[in-house]
Amino acid sequence: MAKKILLIEDEELIRNLLEKKLKMEGYEAFVVENGVKGLEKIKEIKPDLILLDIVMPQKGGFEVMEEMQKDDEMKSIPVIIISNSGQPVELDRAKELGAKDWLIKTEFDPQEVLEKIKRQI
Amino acid sequence: MSEEYINELLDSLPLSFCFVNPLGVIVNANNPLQNLTGYLTTEMVGKNIDVLFFEKEEIEIFKKEISESQEKIEKEMTLLAKDKRKILIRVIASGQRDKKGNFNGYFLIFSEIKGKEEFQKELEKEVKQKTKALKESSLALLNILDDVEQSRLLAEREKNKTLAVIENFPEGLLFFNKENKLTSVNFKIQEIFGIKKKKLILGKKTPDLLNKYPSFTPLIKFLGEDEVKTTHRKELELKKDLILEVSVIPVVSKQEKLGTLVILRNITREKIVERLKSEFVSIAAHQLRTPLSSIKWVLKMILDGDLGSLTQEQRIFLEKTYKGNEKMIRLINDLLNVTKIEEGRIVYRLQEEDIIKIIKEVMDVFKEQSIIQNKNLKFEFIKPEEEKIIVQADREKLFLAFQNLIDNAFHYTPIGGNIKVVVKHLKDEGMVLTSIQDSGIGIPEEQQKRVFTRFFRATNTIKENVEGTGLGLFIAKNIIESHDGKIWFESKENQGSSFYFSLPVKKII
Repeated sequence: MAKKILLIEDEELIRNLLEKKLKMEGYEAFVVENGVKGLEKIKEIKPDLILLDIVMPQKGGFEVMEEMQKDDEMKSIPVIIISNSGQPVELDRAKELGAKDWLIKTEFDPQEVLEKIKRQI
Repeated sequence: MSEEYINELLDSLPLSFCFVNPLGVIVNANNPLQNLTGYLTTEMVGKNIDVLFFEKEEIEIFKKEISESQEKIEKEMTLLAKDKRKILIRVIASGQRDKKGNFNGYFLIFSEIKGKEEFQKELEKEVKQKTKALKESSLALLNILDDVEQSRLLAEREKNKTLAVIENFPEGLLFFNKENKLTSVNFKIQEIFGIKKKKLILGKKTPDLLNKYPSFTPLIKFLGEDEVKTTHRKELELKKDLILEVSVIPVVSKQEKLGTLVILRNITREKIVERLKSEFVSIAAHQLRTPLSSIKWVLKMILDGDLGSLTQEQRIFLEKTYKGNEKMIRLINDLLNVTKIEEGRIVYRLQEEDIIKIIKEVMDVFKEQSIIQNKNLKFEFIKPEEEKIIVQADREKLFLAFQNLIDNAFHYTPIGGNIKVVVKHLKDEGMVLTSIQDSGIGIPEEQQKRVFTRFFRATNTIKENVEGTGLGLFIAKNIIESHDGKIWFESKENQGSSFYFSLPVKKII
């Protein structure tokens, strides 16, 4: 059975691109545009991996992870952060909240995202 | 001897003389006296002797002395001639007494003091000259005194002017003497520290100021509690919304240290503007990153053929667009790094890293690019004997610094050129030296001083149409120096450049 990847990202273009890329790679891809919908979707589909943006309207990436930490089931799902910045403080916070990896969008491309996913699942 | 004979004798003597009776009446006078006085003997005989003298009072005393004295009396007097001329003479008086001792009268012998008169004149002349000279000297002295007074007034005026300048100087000035006592301050200092009267703080030593005046505490701690230390243009946040730039200069006169001058410049406004500018750049850069990363991803997917196959022409255009986008990303990253450096926001996380490995990784990327871009550069990496050289470094930052250096070598070296990277362990110094030598266009000598400043671009790079932001070396320098390292270069226009940086070695494996 295909692995389920959930992408929580507010940038439409990135969402569309990654969704396409993931599907082409044979994953079952789900996309939502903010943290609130993201948490609902996690509960609903129980993804194998989450690609999570940090700065988003309504609920940002850190808040999503904080809530995931409170839930034993959600806590175990690997999270890869995709963000436009990568300040050391942000990286520290992400590590504390259990993120597995971090990538800065300008430094990577979709192909490299796939490689990072493969390292986790 | 007959009387006639005597008279003849007397007249032929060169001395002038006369005989005076006890009543002071001239009884006889000889020819020479006629010549001396201008009176005829007949005019003189019968007259009182007073007639012949200028000093009337003195002659009375003289007459009395003669009548009482047994001996000759000699005196200098002034003879009054008939034409009223005054002649200085020596008079010798000789009283005449009979056998019983009765006073019968006296001879007066006159001798002109010719030399004396001339001497007197000479003397007078000399005195006059001396007096004149003295007058001139005293005038000169007065002039000098006047000048001195004027100089003093001028000096005082200058001093007042200087004091006024100091008092009204827009920057705060404090002067500490050799004993670290505060001896002078200007109005700006009172304003900055909220001191109503200068005398409250003058004469106080640094520890006193520290303890008694809380507004001074941050400054004194900054300057040094016991001794004011020399600094140049360092920032001090005295309190909220008051940032000062502090310079401390030793004041030396004729090789003797007089004290220390502390200059405080309020740079709060500049800092606010700088902060706003940085914030603006930071926000703008972040805002730009989002669409740039979207563009990057879209182009990459199209180029990778994820969205269908491309014609050769489409591919070429898209590749160029992709490169342009990468350049923009790079520029924005540089701008963000610079604003972080300016704001002191760069956080370094130092860990043990192998510098050889970091350098090799960066070089591999550029070797590949050289092939892709058909630049055919010859890359040479001369490794040290040691397998690993461990330094305390923030991997990403050091990576970025070296990347900037190689990037310059890559861009400024023409097709087919050489780039040589050498890593060397300087055992004696405990440092590792990395050099990046290229056979590129070099940096014009007159511009070499500005190489590490922001937005510096050598004129020849613009001529040769080589792209760059002018931020890479500024960033590299800041990163290397934050690792306690040093960075420098040698360059000759049209021959190439060599950049060097050295870092302290933690250990060798």
